[in-house]
Formats: sequence, C-alpha cells, structure tokens
Amino acid sequence: MSTNTRTILICSGKGGVGKTTLTANLGIALAKQGVKTAVLDADFGLRNLDLLLGLENRIVYTAQEVLEESCRLDQALVKHKQEPNLALLPAGNPRMLDWLKPEDMQRIVKMLSDQFEYVLIDCPAGVEDGFKNAVSASKEAIVVTNPEVSAVRDADRVIGLLNTHSINPVQLVLNRVRPNMIANQEMLSVDDVTDILALPLLGLVLEDEQVIVSTNRGEPLTLSGSKSPAARCYSNIASRLKGEDIPLIDPSKEGSRIRDKFKRLMQTKIF
Amino acid sequence: MSKIRTHTVTFPLTRQEDWKETIPRKLLDLQPGLVILDCLDWFLNCTDFQKIQILFNQAGLTIILIQSSIPETIVSASAIGLPATLKIASNEKESKKSLGQNFHINENPSVLFKKGTLRSGESLEAEGDVLLLGDVNPGAKISAGGNVMVWGRLRGVAHAGKTGNTNAKIVALQLRPLQLRIAQAIARGPQEKPLEGFAEEALIESGQIVIKPAKAHI
Repeated sequence: MSTNTRTILICSGKGGVGKTTLTANLGIALAKQGVKTAVLDADFGLRNLDLLLGLENRIVYTAQEVLEESCRLDQALVKHKQEPNLALLPAGNPRMLDWLKPEDMQRIVKMLSDQFEYVLIDCPAGVEDGFKNAVSASKEAIVVTNPEVSAVRDADRVIGLLNTHSINPVQLVLNRVRPNMIANQEMLSVDDVTDILALPLLGLVLEDEQVIVSTNRGEPLTLSGSKSPAARCYSNIASRLKGEDIPLIDPSKEGSRIRDKFKRLMQTKIF
Repeated sequence: MSKIRTHTVTFPLTRQEDWKETIPRKLLDLQPGLVILDCLDWFLNCTDFQKIQILFNQAGLTIILIQSSIPETIVSASAIGLPATLKIASNEKESKKSLGQNFHINENPSVLFKKGTLRSGESLEAEGDVLLLGDVNPGAKISAGGNVMVWGRLRGVAHAGKTGNTNAKIVALQLRPLQLRIAQAIARGPQEKPLEGFAEEALIESGQIVIKPAKAHI
C-alpha cells in the first residue's frame, strides 16, 4: 500500500482560514467513502485537530512517543468512534518544535503510509520550521485560502515555496465564500483569486454558520450527513480528490432558488 | 588527469551553408569537453536547439553558453534550459558608441531570461535587461539595471534602471503594478482596469513616470 499512499499537505500560510476544519471534514468524508485515512496534526505549537474531531479525551500517546520509540504507532493512533476508517495521530507537546527535524516527520509519514491510503497533514500557519517539516514529508498539497487580499497574498507565497519543494499536484480550496457579497462586488470573486494563484480549483466552500456549531461540538459537519451548504462542499471536495468528476458549484446561482430561500427563512430565528 | 577543455563553435557565416551539415563536421575534430556556441545572427527555434543539443551530446560535448545577436534565438535557447546571452554584432556596437549621449549602454549587454511566475515574496534581479515569461504577482519584485520586460501580467513592484539609467523602460502585457520605479523616480500603479490586449510601457518623461501603449521596439 505504501507506494500508492497519497500524502497530502493542507496548508495556507495565513492562520484562521480553515486548514484544520478542512482536514477534519475531508478526513471524515474520505473515511465515509470507504477510504482508509489518517490525519496527522503537524501543528505542534497550537494543536487542535483533535478538538475538531472530538477525540481530545481519547489521546494516550502522541507522535512524540512514537518518535522516541516509547510506544508503537498503533498505540498512538486514535480511531474515530463512528468512522473506524479514520485515525488521528495527535501532535506531541509544543516543545517538540525545538527538536523535530524534517527526517522525523518523514519517518512518521512513512509509518502511516504503510497502513493508510490517504494521509492528510494539517500544516501549521506560517512558513517557518513547522511548515518546512510538514512539506518535507508530503507529496501533494491543498492550499486553503479565503477570498480576502491578505489570505490570497499569503497563499501565493506558500505556493511559491511548495514549488521549490517539488510538491505536485498543488490544488486550491477557496473557503468561506459568500455568494451575495461576491454578487455585490464586496468580496474577491472566484476568478479574482484563481487569476492570481493560477492553481486548479479543487473546490469552493460556502460560508456556513453550521461550521462554527460543529467545531464547538467536536463533530465535523460531514460526519452527521448534514445537508448544510458547507457539508455538501466538503463531501464534493473529498470525491474530487479521489478523482470523481463533480462539477464545481456556481456561487452566483447558489441560494437564489426559491427552495433555498424558503429554507433560509425557516432557519432564521425571528424571536 | 587532463584539464577539461572549453571549445568555441561558431555557426556558418553565410546562409549558403546549411548548419545541419557544417556543425556535425566541425564537431568531428573536437575533444570531449565544454562548448560555447556562437549562433551569430541565425534564427533558431526550440526544435533546432533540441537537435543541436543531441548533436553535441553525442560528441561528448556539453554546451555551457549560447551566444547570439538576435533575441528570438536567445529566447528559444532559454526556453529549453540552455544558458544564453545576447551578443551585439561588432558593427552595431560601433554605431551605438558613436551616439555619445547614451552613457548607460552596457559594454557587455545581456538579457536575463526567466520562465515562470514570480509569486509573493519572490524577487528577480538582473544587471542588464530582464525578460520574464510569466506573471509578477502582488508582493513580488522584479528589478533590473536596464529594461524590465514582462511577458505576462505585472502586478507586483518593478524597478527598471536601478543603477540610475533614466532611459530604462518597464514593459508588460498587462501593466498594473503596485509600484513602479525607474532610476530614482517612484510612482504608484494605476487603479483603473487595464484594456485587454494592449501591452503598455512605463518610462520617464520630463522627470515623471508615465504609462503609454507599448512601442514596437525597446
């Protein structure tokens, strides 16, 4: 299985654009589609992938103990309760940053790729050592960005760095898209972003309040089979990643159908 | 151990000869080693250069530099990854010297070619002219002692004539930089949307940077 394993880095440069949320949702969505998937939290400084997946209280060992060889890999892997195809390898304590080398990261990913078909690496924000460690162990990358000037600028910088590490393919996910703001030209459009970044678009994720709710509960949206807009987007991205041909949503048409409008009205709390 | 030798191979002077015949003949006498290939004013495309590369490799020769007096040939050579410099023919050099006024004509003019997009945080610097086949994204910087030419969209910062040449120009297929600099002059880029399909150039006119439709020659 090792040679066919896809090790995919999920990175953005800027913080808070939705790397960890995408990693969690994509992990669950892939696992649901029957793919053996591992998610690796490479954000040692500020780990929270375990929180989003609701696995915080099940962590016994971390990547740190695996590297120190004080435990086996399968002891450290935390299987998801509802989706046994998904496993999390938690990040060790923040001090790991001081001694972790790219070789260590490559060793961990190598071990994971013996057991899994997909390894998703949640990259830390920034372009410093944490990023370099994570890149060294990846073959492919997904760059997450928001339709904001600062996020796009940072993504551009990261793409430049990824190219120097011969990561291929690098694909783009545009997160937190608000169709009505784009229509009013208050937000960068999808074309504006792809024009600068010049990457194949793997998917769009619509802005959705349900994401915040699910994050706080530790249940990724894709887990419950929710019909919310963002959940649909995440599942589509997972399918496209597997090579299925699913058309991108058109933000200009999104939410304009009468049924959607009615649904939105029903969800709005009047009191 | 013998020293690695560097040969110079020159293209035929007249068009009566076919280089596809004369070049292989010239290679027969050479020992394996490094080669500087002078293409004179021959117009060569990428396919030609691929053939040339195979010919030389078969003879155990490695091309370290392509010289030519026409830019198209240089572009072709650079496109397939061969290092190339522009060489101005001797009579042309004389005529430029006689102008007297232009202090900034480089004695050894060279054009730096790069293919690919400059992304945020990246920068490209050149002593002479620079020609980029790709975009300059916001946050990236391109600078040159001579002219800056961008075959693509210029949306970052560009500095032409950084050593003080006020005659330097900035040319791009789409000129919408954050900031433009020519020699000591600095200007902000235009805000309005560019016209599609019109290359533009920036140059100094009476002390100020102005943007105009690009002329057919640099």
